[in-house]
Amino acid sequence: MPSVCFYFQVHQPFRLKRYSFFDIGRDHFYEDDEKNRLILDKVSEKCYLKTNRKMLELINRHKGKFKISYSISGVAIEQFEKHRPDVLQSFVDLANTGCVEFISETYYHSLSFIYSKNEFRRQVEMHKAKIKQHFNQVPKVFRNTELIYNNEVASVVEKMGFKAILCEGVDRYLGDRTPNFLYQPAGTLKIKAFLKNYRLSDDIAFRFSDRNWAEWPLQADTFASWVHKVAGNGEVVNLFMDYETFGEHQWEETGIFEFLDHLPMEIMKHKDFDFKTLSEAADMYKVRDIYDVPDYSSWADAERDLSAWLSNAMEKEAAGRIYKLEEKVISTMNPDLIEFWGKLQTSDHFYYMCTKFWSDGDVHKYFSPYDSPYDAYIYYMNVLADFETTVEEALQDIKPVKKASRKKEPTT
Amino acid sequence: MTTPPILDELTSKADLPKILMLGWEFPPVINGGLGVACHDLCIALSKYANVTMIIPKSNPDFVVKNLNLIGMNTIDAKTLRNIGHTDTYKKVKQVHFIDTHLNPYYNGNASPHHDLQNLTSQYLKTVKIGDETAEVFQIDDLYGGDVIEKVTVFGKLAAKLALSLDFDVIHAHDWMTMIAGMEIKAKTGKPLVVHVHSLEVDRGGPQSKGWVYQVEKHGMEYADLLMPVSNFTGHIIHDYYQIPWSKIRPVHNGIRPVEPFKSAPMFKEKMVLFVGRLTRQKGPEFFVDIAEKVLQKDQNVRFVMAGTGEYFNPLLERAAQRGIAHRFHLTGFLNLDKVRKLLSIADVYIMPSVSEPFGLSAVEAVQFGIPAVISKQSGVAEVLNGALKFDYWDINLAAAYILNLLHDPVLVENVTQDAYKDLENISWDHAAKKVIDGYNAFHLIPEMV
Repeated sequence: MPSVCFYFQVHQPFRLKRYSFFDIGRDHFYEDDEKNRLILDKVSEKCYLKTNRKMLELINRHKGKFKISYSISGVAIEQFEKHRPDVLQSFVDLANTGCVEFISETYYHSLSFIYSKNEFRRQVEMHKAKIKQHFNQVPKVFRNTELIYNNEVASVVEKMGFKAILCEGVDRYLGDRTPNFLYQPAGTLKIKAFLKNYRLSDDIAFRFSDRNWAEWPLQADTFASWVHKVAGNGEVVNLFMDYETFGEHQWEETGIFEFLDHLPMEIMKHKDFDFKTLSEAADMYKVRDIYDVPDYSSWADAERDLSAWLSNAMEKEAAGRIYKLEEKVISTMNPDLIEFWGKLQTSDHFYYMCTKFWSDGDVHKYFSPYDSPYDAYIYYMNVLADFETTVEEALQDIKPVKKASRKKEPTT
Repeated sequence: MTTPPILDELTSKADLPKILMLGWEFPPVINGGLGVACHDLCIALSKYANVTMIIPKSNPDFVVKNLNLIGMNTIDAKTLRNIGHTDTYKKVKQVHFIDTHLNPYYNGNASPHHDLQNLTSQYLKTVKIGDETAEVFQIDDLYGGDVIEKVTVFGKLAAKLALSLDFDVIHAHDWMTMIAGMEIKAKTGKPLVVHVHSLEVDRGGPQSKGWVYQVEKHGMEYADLLMPVSNFTGHIIHDYYQIPWSKIRPVHNGIRPVEPFKSAPMFKEKMVLFVGRLTRQKGPEFFVDIAEKVLQKDQNVRFVMAGTGEYFNPLLERAAQRGIAHRFHLTGFLNLDKVRKLLSIADVYIMPSVSEPFGLSAVEAVQFGIPAVISKQSGVAEVLNGALKFDYWDINLAAAYILNLLHDPVLVENVTQDAYKDLENISWDHAAKKVIDGYNAFHLIPEMV
């Protein structure tokens, strides 16, 4: 009896303002509050509120048989807390149905696993606390930023107590196997891997409104018939996508909400199919084979590797510099500095710096608040220069206390 | 002497389209980039077409492979006899000419003192061949004297000559050859393509409405297809000359490959370089403002302007007024070797052009591995991903870009590496193909099988 596992990613970064070279040392406010607020409001109206309402309606209509899972980044929740408590409440309402699971990720939607396991664990714990605080759930399933994954991620996450992990179903690692089973990550004992079915997921997330696509306009019954083909050769159909697909990437005018409205019914017309949260599916199904991913994979860009964030010299320099600060920032014991250091780790900053002008450049451009990848890098590095000075000053403030007291000694 | 086409022995060119090009500047007689651009485009096109190029003045010793180059000053008696006579131009003796000293790349509002149909000129020499007489173009300096008269005479002679030539399409470059292009189209009915490298609106500003503007407007209206060197220039043609987009197809310039080199620095400070004519169009005064901003943050920078023009003295004064003269250098005119020497030591290249149809100098900087900070009001901004771009009036942004480049080797590396990748697409062969594509799309040449 195959189960459809919907997982939606909710994330909004704290974008940096156009912080000029001339601002270094003069301006210690780095974020573009106005733009962040504007985008949050826009996406809240176009996507979050509308889609949450629809999801709640579907859960009620299908009397608990329609189930879904979310991951909401810590920085997104923070922005809801500050500016859109109504959106946060609509997620709480969904949590209260018992049909919705909230899973775990790094609080800052960061690349921390690649650079610092300590920081990675710190952020996962922070996020766990945030989820518990708002939704009264303790996450059992983990997904790393943008499905960044390899065998080591699975191992580390297993040791942290998670029972399942999400990743991309990458052709080069799957070979001719299907992503529609649970797999055992190579080198692990118990943790189970959910592999994204990227064909079916992308039919909704990317191709839905593409008028050049042979299947346009896609109807729920057609899509359900593709899902039903899994019967006999699969136990899970993992439909993973950005939540902003609904109403933001695919505008309401494309008919995406009507599609969503009909989809659960069309899928459940086949009596062998149901919906499960990720934890339920992990409990229900056994792993069928080993999934061996020695190098990093992700769900981003055509390459499905780290190149969306870490392919050019600027990205590597920027990311290298921010993680190099770890020891100093932590030893300031200044919560504001530690918090802002975390925000600077958000992967979006590096995504905007991507210079794949000819392949996936358009997607990066769509999301970027800046005119060019160079601008993204320049503003980030200018902020970092100012932040580094602030950190140094904070460290000086701690040390001179001792020094000053020593100096005073001879006079007293 | 006319130069017969030198055909590639391996390929028959009989089936290729035949282009009659009309040029003004041409190597080795050059002033600025137009001559080089025309020359290099012709060479690249000769792979795909039979090209005949008519220019006012050529050096008989200058032979270009695969190109039939006709200089109107060197045309021989035999050719003239073959051209024969037309009655289009009747000589009227009582016409006076006044030297206007017009340079098409400087701002000028001149008016003609004669009309096309009735023409005599100091630039025409009558020669006797047997019983017949013919006229030869007497031209010394392309832009000295009365340029309006020169382009008019050129038009007359080129039209006469064209009647004896076999071609499918007329391809004229800029306003100096538009009169010739219009004349030839009127006489032969062949389609006219105008290649736009620079416009009076770029040179003189949006208020330009003088004689040159009128020639450009009429020429472009009369043409079947316009090929500006950028989308930026395409927009100017559309917005300031009211030409419909439907007949505008931009063809970006190419560039000749060079062997870049590095030289030992001339001074211990970093160097920011500007290369170009010191005219309104190039925004040189913004360079002074930007330099002042940069120096407020970092005194270890020198600013070098290579080029000359009517803004030379005002720029000197401006730099002195701002108190940055000790960090600001005007070199005056430099030849290519000296410009390259500067490129070999510069740290940042800046092009603050107010209205730049293409901006080849920025690509030359890229060839030398220098990060370029360029105005968005330029054609080259459309083909260079690897560059930092600003609106020419946004001096704060330009100054901040320069400062970031001067202090961040990673940024420099990334920008220059991306720009190297861009160079792969900036070639004359690419441009030539787009020209042929344009002819085909507008059905101006016979369809190739």
